[in-house]
Amino acid sequence: MDLMIRRREFLKIGTAAATVSAAALKPAIAREAREFKPGGAGYSPLSGTGREAVATACAQCVSRCPAIGYVEEGRMVKVEGQPASIRTAGKLCARGQASVNLIYDPDRILYPLRRAGKRGEGKWQRISWKEALDDLAGRLKKLRDAGQPEKFMFHHGWISASADRLINEVFLPTYGTGTVVNQTCLGQGARQAAFQLTWGAHEDNWDFANTRFVLNFGANVLEAHTNHVALARILATGIAERRFRIVTFDVRMSNTAAKSNAWIPIKPGTDLAVALAMGNVVMNEGLFRGEGEAFLEFCKVTPRNDATVAEKVEALKAHLAPYTPEWAEPISGVPARTIRDLAIEFATAKPACVLSSRAVSSNYNGVDTERAILLLAAITGNIDNPGGRCRAVVPEWSYPKGPQDRPPTRRLEILNGFDGAVSLPINGVGHQVLKMIKDGRAGRPEVYLWYIYNPVYANGEVGENIDVLKDEALIPFTVAVTPFYDESAALADLILPDATYLERYDFEDGVSPSQVPEYYLRQPLVPPLGEARDFKDVCCELAERLGIPLGFKTGEEFVSKACQMTPEVADKAGGFRGLTKAGVWHDPGAKPAYYGYRREISNEEFKTSFLTEGVIFDEEMGVYWNWKKAGVASEAEARRVGYRRTPGAHKGYEAQLMRERIFIGFRPDRINKTGYFELYSAVLAERGLPPLPTYRPVPEHAEMRAGDLVLTTYKVNVQTLSTTQNCKWLTEIYFDNAARIHPTTAREHGIGDGDRVRIKSKVGEIETTAKWSHSIVPGIVAISTHAGRWEYGRYASKRAPFGVDDAPFDRLKWWPTNGTHPNWVIPNSPEPVSGQQRWGDVVVTLTKA
Amino acid sequence: MADEREIGGRESEEVCPAPGRREAIQALAGGLAATVAVAAATALSAPPTEPAPRNGRGIQYGMVIDVRRCIGCHACTVACKSEFDVPVGENRSWVEYVEKGEYPYVGRSFLPRLCNHCSIPPCVYVCPTNATYKRPQDGAVVVDVGLCIGCKYCIQACPYEARFLNPITGAADKCDFCLHRVSKGVAPACVSTCVGGARIFGDVSDPESEISKLIASERVTVLRGEMGTLPNVYYIAADHTDSIDARRPEVRQVEVDNHRRRKHWR
Ligand code: SF4
Ligand code: SF4
Repeated sequence: MDLMIRRREFLKIGTAAATVSAAALKPAIAREAREFKPGGAGYSPLSGTGREAVATACAQCVSRCPAIGYVEEGRMVKVEGQPASIRTAGKLCARGQASVNLIYDPDRILYPLRRAGKRGEGKWQRISWKEALDDLAGRLKKLRDAGQPEKFMFHHGWISASADRLINEVFLPTYGTGTVVNQTCLGQGARQAAFQLTWGAHEDNWDFANTRFVLNFGANVLEAHTNHVALARILATGIAERRFRIVTFDVRMSNTAAKSNAWIPIKPGTDLAVALAMGNVVMNEGLFRGEGEAFLEFCKVTPRNDATVAEKVEALKAHLAPYTPEWAEPISGVPARTIRDLAIEFATAKPACVLSSRAVSSNYNGVDTERAILLLAAITGNIDNPGGRCRAVVPEWSYPKGPQDRPPTRRLEILNGFDGAVSLPINGVGHQVLKMIKDGRAGRPEVYLWYIYNPVYANGEVGENIDVLKDEALIPFTVAVTPFYDESAALADLILPDATYLERYDFEDGVSPSQVPEYYLRQPLVPPLGEARDFKDVCCELAERLGIPLGFKTGEEFVSKACQMTPEVADKAGGFRGLTKAGVWHDPGAKPAYYGYRREISNEEFKTSFLTEGVIFDEEMGVYWNWKKAGVASEAEARRVGYRRTPGAHKGYEAQLMRERIFIGFRPDRINKTGYFELYSAVLAERGLPPLPTYRPVPEHAEMRAGDLVLTTYKVNVQTLSTTQNCKWLTEIYFDNAARIHPTTAREHGIGDGDRVRIKSKVGEIETTAKWSHSIVPGIVAISTHAGRWEYGRYASKRAPFGVDDAPFDRLKWWPTNGTHPNWVIPNSPEPVSGQQRWGDVVVTLTKA
Repeated sequence: MADEREIGGRESEEVCPAPGRREAIQALAGGLAATVAVAAATALSAPPTEPAPRNGRGIQYGMVIDVRRCIGCHACTVACKSEFDVPVGENRSWVEYVEKGEYPYVGRSFLPRLCNHCSIPPCVYVCPTNATYKRPQDGAVVVDVGLCIGCKYCIQACPYEARFLNPITGAADKCDFCLHRVSKGVAPACVSTCVGGARIFGDVSDPESEISKLIASERVTVLRGEMGTLPNVYYIAADHTDSIDARRPEVRQVEVDNHRRRKHWR
């Protein structure tokens, strides 16, 4: 009762603006019209005739939602959701709905192109695939023959599960290069590192369907997320039906914040302080008792693995003691009272779900922000439980592994950033790669090929990226694999026209919100336009030409073999044929995966089946592990070196000894941690970093001068990073990304609403338009990452060098601007633990242009 | 009353204008007052146990948009674009954003928009060629592209800015409730993809339909009810703050925005 009153008071007097619309109305009650089918069939609006329906999957963003494509007389006309999907329940977002725009982009590249003038000059010559691959295969062969396969550098963005396996796990290792760069560091790097350190999983799921309270640190679930439609639909329903309250911390009022019961403005880069202060409240007020206490059995909180729960409680209390809400208030701008009330609400909701996102972890203190948020979930028992934060459940595909008699791969040491800058670059530091090439001390690639990636535009420091890519002395040969002429393709020597995702086969492994895995495929709706080819097919051909056949000839064959090899799909989903027909499959009898860590190895099991060939016990870590699975040469060696120091030992992890009992625990993913939920990270301690989540302010923020502002970037609901601006139906909705500034801040800088302004950082400057906004905290300037393109076709930019006339549609383009890209002023700067790019804490100055 | 609802009978299933449509429209106009009464009766006092006899009652398709569920995602906007390949710059369906208040007391709400398929449709009355008409068989207001001369009277007459001149066909264009889908038993494209599950489509004159039950049990509103157009698109929990409010000097901070507005009304 007391709590209820305080909660109400809080809503009235907190700094938060409760979005009243949600609070004043009665909850929605589930009611769905049953008179009409939700989808799954399509008809021509002109003739009324049925359209051919093909089960497939969207790839406009990393969520990769199951979908159905509709084809009319050989032309793809529409993409809709897959009603049979347990992930999306037949919904697609605006981006997915605009997929049609991609295939028929009038500025699409339809033929292989070779640079004709100087690099970047924009002169091109159309060549045949034979010429293109002769050239590329010739270069790759030369490198390989010279024993330098690592000089072939492959860089990719979000790619499908099957492309990842085929290219990263079969083709490139068979060829011999390990110089492979991904873009994890641009988005989820800090979160993933925190996950890998703490609970092994590298993705999580938020169980909105069963929760009672949602505490949100900056996640914009309703607009952009790595599992967007799946989570947004359940969150939206939960909010409307008042199944829970949701409170959102953010520097700006995203649509998610707007739909929340309260938006709590917070200073950028300070979520860590608030999360720690909430932990302080939970511990001091005894709110960990019950579920939290029970979960602490499974947590590592001190250097000792056999600490009692009482000892763990004491250790946490001591560690969190300085982090009082009163301490966090001046740092974060969130009133101590609000922090305290929310901590109590979170801890007593049972279950409650805490969210976090790139927005709070792409800062200087990103990894510890995420770890502090995990700590909060742990001490309230909200981990891997119904209604809490769970380890993600995805389908587990088996697939052909290619030739196994291959030598170990070689790599250039340019993937993890400069020496000492990043302590634990588990997922690579891709945004430093061009800098390292420029530096040259760790070697340079001869051939740089990028795929579904735009290195110039996607990273910070655009100017430097262009300089490096343009310089033939630094990188002798550049290859862009893309359907569209983007800012990086403009700097390639060779462009290979890729198939769009609606023209190829893939298997996929998106996260299930219901904790039951869903298997699904992507299949082409139409053959690739022009001479475009799926890059998976191209890799198969390259391998043949290099004399290292992979054992399958096309992406389709690879996917079809994966269906044969994956037991669930082969036995229950009808294999490749069954799955291409149905599109999706899940086991209707499967139970949602919760509490997997609690499975105990009984004495009986231990004696009879647990200690199989190769399983040994590591005293130091309390880990049972299989040295054979970990790839160690002999048991003697495994015992001598031990689990902690054996590279890749985590691959052999079996179970964890937890004070006399053996549990499956939290299986490590990339690092040799224990099977405990490691609030105390021995891996970090070893590197001289604070083992428990610890507050460290953003150093640049401490040095800010009067008038300096923090630049923050964000995403919106109708664009995906740098990939969708050529979709006319999306770009006409969102084409401009004016700099949003609080009116008070604007006035202090003498800037009126709509004025042209100059934003400057230590690496560059941009000119853009200021837009006053009341839905943003003072002292910052917010610019979305979706605009300001100078290539990518007529809809994204004003240029269309390969375009075909699309009259009478061309004259209909009406938007007067394409906005300004913020990355010109954002340094490529790694978060010091994981190497995550720091998008969120850049210091800038703002002046009238 | 039942007679008044039965505008023009419902035998005819064809999409093209049928002879006798004019009469139907006149009947409809004459029945204004009565229709209002029926609408009120449906909403307030229809006894759930004793459904009104269906025979002799026309289908009236309608939509409920439950704004509590809407997340402003524009999936509906784009689904509609792709369903009909609507030219750039125009929309049959779109979402308005209403942002109010001063920091930190701010709120944002969404207002999905489409043709209201009014029971008293001003666009129909002004059309000189009968190209725009209200279908007797289901109450959808549609445009016969073949008959439309592009005079834009209807575009002016519509109080909801629901219509536009299609730059490709040269004819008036707007939402038609996806009749090509609905006639095959499939929900309209916007309904089908609505991420929040905010859109419910159905026959508002059938008391047993889900949409009727929803209208009966919730506080619903329509847009610009004072115009007497009797919209068949109902809203739950809509914020009706509009650009008129935004211009009121005593209302300090209101912004109504969407891309359609930016193109046409700025
Ligand atoms: S969330 Fe991503 S994958 Fe799903 S429909 Fe939208 S763009 Fe496509
Ligand atoms: S699709 Fe649904 S939730 Fe999204 S904007 Fe449209 S009505 Fe709202």
